[in-house]
Amino acid sequence: MQETRYTYLDSSPSPALTDGALSGVSIAIQPNMSVRGWPTAAGSKALEGFTAIYDATVIEHLKHAGAHIKGSIRMSELGFGLAGDTGAKVLHKGDVDCLLVTDTMGEARMTACVAGDFGFKPSYGMVSRFGLIGLIPSMECCGIAAKNIKDIAGAMSVIAKSDSRDLSMPEFGADLDIPRFDRVFETRERIRSCGVIKECVDMLEIDESKAFGAAMARLAGRGLQIEEVHLKDFELAREVHNVIGAVEASSSAGKYDGVRYGHRAAAAKNWNDMYMNSRAESFGVLVKTYLFQGAYFQYENYNAFVDAARIRARLLAQTEAALERFDVLVLPTRRAAFDPSSAHTINTVYDVFSWTLIANITGHPAITLPHMVACGDTDLGLQLIGPRFQDERLLSMAARLADLDREAHHDGL
Amino acid sequence: MAYEAVIGLEIHVQLSCTTKMFCDCPNRPGDDPNTNICPICLWLPGAVPRFSLETLEKATLACLALNCDIQPQSAFDQKVYYYPDLPKGFQLSQHHMPLSRGGWVDIIDENGKPKKLRLHHAHMEEDVAKLVHETEGRTPISLVDFNRAGTPLIEIVTEPDMRDPHDAMAFLKVLRTQLRYTGCAECSMDQGTMRCDANISLRPHGSDQLNTKVEVKNMNSIQHVGNAIAYEIKRQTESLKNNEPIVLHTRLWDPEKRITTFMRGKFEGPCVPDPAVTQILVTDEWQQKMASKLPEMPHRKVNRFVRQYGLTHDEAAQMCSERELSEYFEAVVKLGASPRTVANWMATQLLPAMKEHGHEFATLPVTAKRFFGLITMLEKNEINSNSARSVLTKLFETAQSPEEIVDQFGFRQVSETGALRVIVDQVVSDNTSAVENYKNGNKKSIGFLVGQAMKLSQGKANPKRLQEILKEKLA
Repeated sequence: MQETRYTYLDSSPSPALTDGALSGVSIAIQPNMSVRGWPTAAGSKALEGFTAIYDATVIEHLKHAGAHIKGSIRMSELGFGLAGDTGAKVLHKGDVDCLLVTDTMGEARMTACVAGDFGFKPSYGMVSRFGLIGLIPSMECCGIAAKNIKDIAGAMSVIAKSDSRDLSMPEFGADLDIPRFDRVFETRERIRSCGVIKECVDMLEIDESKAFGAAMARLAGRGLQIEEVHLKDFELAREVHNVIGAVEASSSAGKYDGVRYGHRAAAAKNWNDMYMNSRAESFGVLVKTYLFQGAYFQYENYNAFVDAARIRARLLAQTEAALERFDVLVLPTRRAAFDPSSAHTINTVYDVFSWTLIANITGHPAITLPHMVACGDTDLGLQLIGPRFQDERLLSMAARLADLDREAHHDGL
Repeated sequence: MAYEAVIGLEIHVQLSCTTKMFCDCPNRPGDDPNTNICPICLWLPGAVPRFSLETLEKATLACLALNCDIQPQSAFDQKVYYYPDLPKGFQLSQHHMPLSRGGWVDIIDENGKPKKLRLHHAHMEEDVAKLVHETEGRTPISLVDFNRAGTPLIEIVTEPDMRDPHDAMAFLKVLRTQLRYTGCAECSMDQGTMRCDANISLRPHGSDQLNTKVEVKNMNSIQHVGNAIAYEIKRQTESLKNNEPIVLHTRLWDPEKRITTFMRGKFEGPCVPDPAVTQILVTDEWQQKMASKLPEMPHRKVNRFVRQYGLTHDEAAQMCSERELSEYFEAVVKLGASPRTVANWMATQLLPAMKEHGHEFATLPVTAKRFFGLITMLEKNEINSNSARSVLTKLFETAQSPEEIVDQFGFRQVSETGALRVIVDQVVSDNTSAVENYKNGNKKSIGFLVGQAMKLSQGKANPKRLQEILKEKLA
């Protein structure tokens, strides 16, 4: 039943535009991306009944390019983790060509990885956040999951545009060159070297390590330079994301008070009680715990937040330094033992996203490739992290890497 | 024990920007409720704040006018608290990295000595929505007007350099004048475009410790600030005399009863860096560009007026008390009038008349050119002071030139000796007893006789010439 995978299916006629860049391309989105007139509850009772009153910039671009926006899938509450999210099913069923997923700690990449597809998180600032209902503003961006890199590049060529309504973006054409996603397959960026994050490899389980090692060996066999690289504070990434994410989430969710929209508790003595009752009834346990945790750091332990912000800066510097030496950094996407769809606690959510959240912390673009790291029955996914704002180059290198791997398989390596 | 008061102020000033701080909504809080609102200032889901450059420019000008150091890097923080006047659970303000640090304001203290009052810092902040409480009726309700939500403010925080109510009041007056000069703010306390909280503590005279302070709010004039501080000093002195400890808290000034009352314990919510508003980097070049937009500030203008126009310091200070006033003065002088006459006539005649007619300089019908015409006729003795006052009244009422008014209403002064003699003869024959008195040595009677003669001339006679002719005749 399609209905169980979607919260909203658009019944309006297909786009009239037939010669747009995305004409004939079908896209599913999450109900945290504003489409004028669509229910936009972001998976939360806190936004129950909320209807978007304008189009997010991303949606505007997609509409202008003639894409068919099919509907909104089911998503986790406010996009934190993937419990209850139907994105992987939608991809698996082949409902659409592309799925847009807000990537806060790796959700777009993880969805693709689970579905056996390609998943991409752009550089922070590459895609406008205007109209996207988020939780962790400094980390999240609009990610894309699709059957192939071509569709990802196609969607990026339409949505990666400067937006005067989102000042966290550079002005393409002035601050930075205008990205040319249309050339991803024209130029065929060569990929020579991959830096394997040593601190990540050290944390892998034995079977994970074997699977990943085998993939690296195959690529080395195709002439790629594969070397270890240090990201000294990699081990701390999870805590950095957890502390900063919780603090930002706590503030971002402050607007859900049940006054202007969303769920409002039935009766209250005064407005304070109204806030507290409405919020108590609105949020699920996972989000509530996360918000509490954020409030704790805000009110009681601000120094922990300052420390996390400082380590974040170090992680950024370390990643940049590593990318000076290598074309891409590589690591697995998911952990074999953890099922993204059943992670319902802060700890298990962070277990699931252990390897993806680094790119959200540093703002680098990252992509996961399927069918390259098989660990028993589980595809761990091969994740590549590229230099900031060289997203089209990363896509091009990823395509090249996928080809090399296919050749290796073909040669029976 | 003798105590000394230690006073610091926190002043919120509304910036006169065209738009709000993070969206394009008009910055007009007084419009019909909830008309100047959008998804950003209502903080609807998916809103992304977009910091306005105009806010940065006006805030920078205001800071420069107060001698502050603009910081090369500044950023917004979230002041977290939950209240219906905040649609998002936090207020965007600058805490960790304010726009400017330092700065000072020069005042004259109670003993007439110059005093430098230092500023700690000044930062940008968004205003919150306005709550209207309707307590009448069966169910009291609170209404929220979001027109003011997200409008731009600067908050100026002083060092605790003030020692008495006079310091605080003088500080606010100078601050207001200097900020008004920049054109970035109206600074009206009764309109709420300038709001001031005072922090007051006491310490033994001669000590340099900083003791627990009490914050006082709800003063809506500079005089109230002075009164509230005076009351609070008295109240705290009595507490200390009775060995009651001073506890950190916030009090409200009650202008009716002229006392402060307990409001709440001092509340400090957390301040965390805001991840959505971009950091602000200011280059030297940009700062210089802003500095070049700063007008000549009042203290420099006062000195120039003394030097250039020969005004006394007090006259110059009065002519510089507002930027528009100083520009009007200078415009009239530049047309060729004598500076001191202009200053005198503006202070004693024009300003009171403007007040009476309810005019600001922006709407003043008596243009500099028309006022110059009036002053010129006065200086050339074509009209006397009496007539000049009448002409000024007419200048508010008609569009005619002062010359036309003088001609039409016959205000021209009579100085011609023959005509004046006729009047003097009449007055002398009508007032024999006064004439007798004068001749008997009561020289004061001449004033009465001149007065009678002026009356007879319907105010048009040249009083100086009248007196000369009278004296001549009675000699």
